[in-house]
Amino acid sequence: MSTGNTKKPEIDDLLRRALADDLPPEAEAGMRRRIARFRETKAESAPARPWGVAARAWLFRRTVWAALSILMLVAGLLLQGGKPRGPLVERIAAIKTEFASLDTTRR
Amino acid sequence: MTEIAGTSDKARAVLRWLFAAAFIVAVVASGLFAGLFSRAGLLYLVFGSVAAALMGFTRQEIGAAFRDAAGRGGRPDELARSAYFWEAAARNAWILGALGSAFNFALVMGGQSPGIADVSHRMIQSFIVTLYGLIMAVILLVPALKIAGLAEKAGLPGEAPSAGAARPAASPFFSVERMAGYVGFAVLLVLTALPRIRGAADVTIPPAKALLHGPAVLVVLGGAIALALFAGAGGRAWTLGFATTGLIALLTGLIQALFGFVHTNIQEIAAAIAFIVSASVFALLGLVAVAAPLEDREVMGGGRRGAGPISRMFWVLLPLLTFIFLVLTFIMVVTPMTKPG
Repeated sequence: MSTGNTKKPEIDDLLRRALADDLPPEAEAGMRRRIARFRETKAESAPARPWGVAARAWLFRRTVWAALSILMLVAGLLLQGGKPRGPLVERIAAIKTEFASLDTTRR
Repeated sequence: MTEIAGTSDKARAVLRWLFAAAFIVAVVASGLFAGLFSRAGLLYLVFGSVAAALMGFTRQEIGAAFRDAAGRGGRPDELARSAYFWEAAARNAWILGALGSAFNFALVMGGQSPGIADVSHRMIQSFIVTLYGLIMAVILLVPALKIAGLAEKAGLPGEAPSAGAARPAASPFFSVERMAGYVGFAVLLVLTALPRIRGAADVTIPPAKALLHGPAVLVVLGGAIALALFAGAGGRAWTLGFATTGLIALLTGLIQALFGFVHTNIQEIAAAIAFIVSASVFALLGLVAVAAPLEDREVMGGGRRGAGPISRMFWVLLPLLTFIFLVLTFIMVVTPMTKPG
């Protein structure tokens, strides 16, 4: 596309020729071993870290709490709409019935 | 000359407080208001106010506020902070009063009583705590107004520390005072729930079950968290969350109870009453133990210019409406229902 790219193979050849014996084979082998070891350790520790980080990020995500709170609100309203029975409800009903019977007795 | 004037000011302030204390002692000793005396309610309110103050303020701030109330006179920004402390103390007393009434109301309904007259008597006695809260709030507002006036005279508009003023060091969230305040408040609530301390004969249902009406807890917690998240972080968002959810819960309960009367369904009315009482307890608890301390820290840390007008409105409104709704609840419990012919 551009004219600048046509000179690239020539420059590459020139660089290869000029730097052909820059790196001794032992050093190259050593570097390759090191890179391989680094990759291995990275691959070993990789699965554990993202799990913890992801779980924490998920727990502190605003949208999770927003969804959870709205779910709680809706669940509470729906439960209350269904006239729930509970120890306090039963006790209040008993008190109210007692008051009603008291009124009937007076009459 | 200035020293003599300062000493006479302090002496006058101490005399004024002594006179007020003597007046209160005389009124109590006269026995005129014996029917309105509740030792448990008074102790709950005093210790609750101390715990609530520790939740929102440091020892140094509390000490400075007392010294300013005694007429020490300090820098304008220090006076403004002390005025805010007394305003917050008045707010706490008012909220704690209504919370005590709702708390006691739920426990009375869940408790065992020898007769219906005894239940009614205990229900009405629950309202005395709100009266104490109101009186205590008025007393605590006196130093707040006085110190705010002094701050204004000294060149500050009675509110925040100015931009140039030295800001106090931010206290850590888990400070000793705060932990002591929360632990003390929890212990106080547990002690208040004990039947022996309240003078009740025995319990029909455990206090935790009497207070924890599932739907009310879900509505108040869910609504408060949702509103606080949408309104943004900070104490004001939590005040808005707990107060508006509490108001919505009160209205929802009242409407459901009225439908219960129309349907002549005692179970429906009882569910609505349980919802009103439990929701008001949790909304006020959230207001006094979560939202208010957060707002206090924001103001005392120099992050805000005093309490916001909306927060102030809710601090007055929610306890007042709770009291009114508790009275309505009492009327609903004692009003007999007859099936239409």
